[in-house]
Amino acid sequence: MTWQSFFDTSTMAHRHLLAAYATVLVVQAGYFGWIAWNWFHTKERRY
Amino acid sequence: MEQRTPTLRNVAWLWFGIAIAVLVVGFRQAIFLTPADAAQGDVGRIFYYHVPIAMLSLLFPYINFAASLTYLFWRSRDPLKALTADALALASAEVAVVYSSICLVTGMIWGRVAWNIWWTWDARLTSMLILWLLYVSYLMLRRFSSTGQSQTLAAVLGIFAAVDVPIVYMSIRWWRTQHPAPVFGGGANSGMDKSMLPGFFWNLAGWAIWGVLILLFRFALERRRQLAEQEAALHAIEASLETPQ
Repeated sequence: MTWQSFFDTSTMAHRHLLAAYATVLVVQAGYFGWIAWNWFHTKERRY
Repeated sequence: MEQRTPTLRNVAWLWFGIAIAVLVVGFRQAIFLTPADAAQGDVGRIFYYHVPIAMLSLLFPYINFAASLTYLFWRSRDPLKALTADALALASAEVAVVYSSICLVTGMIWGRVAWNIWWTWDARLTSMLILWLLYVSYLMLRRFSSTGQSQTLAAVLGIFAAVDVPIVYMSIRWWRTQHPAPVFGGGANSGMDKSMLPGFFWNLAGWAIWGVLILLFRFALERRRQLAEQEAALHAIEASLETPQ
């Protein structure tokens, strides 16, 4: 498989393969980003 | 404390770098280097993300289980230790929801092509959906309960929820399901072709390293929130004592 065929959306099988990988990466990156955002917006205890 | 924080931060960045590197190798193996499945074609490559993440989604509930038991043990003996266990229980429940959500969604995306249906109420899919619902309800309980006992109630729910994990695992062994038979430990016909092993194990390692990273990061965030809450409460008490009578 190549990058071109990975992003090929002409068949249902290829669309679903791309959707599955995109879902995994978006959900994991989104959750990580949410934690990071909260990390920088939660005050650190000073003592 | 001042010396420990930069060291921890460096270890966290190193761990993050390793996770990304292993996941990149895993992606390359799964998409570009492993030959397409003889029966399914390219859509079979969903396997390399779906199966490792599904396997890992059954581990985080056990961390929640252990942390919930620890919380209940320390609850009245040492509340500060109990708070630490509670932070780990919350972090592991959230990561369990993330991993089981991905497992369900990628399974449905694959099923639509392989079976021509998005969903079927077979034992594996149903028990996995129940696991997801249990940990979503755990998080909802923590978020919306106003009893003042929400951490204790959540810990009890976490202990009961873990009972579903062996049921999910054994479902494809106990019952005949539409879901494929076990890949590992499923008898004489189980296992996978040698050409599939690197793609599978790189992704299993990558998502395991990533899972530990987000679990510890979420745990650290919850501890930071708890400590900030304690500090705010302390300031409020001090302020009330300074108020002229």
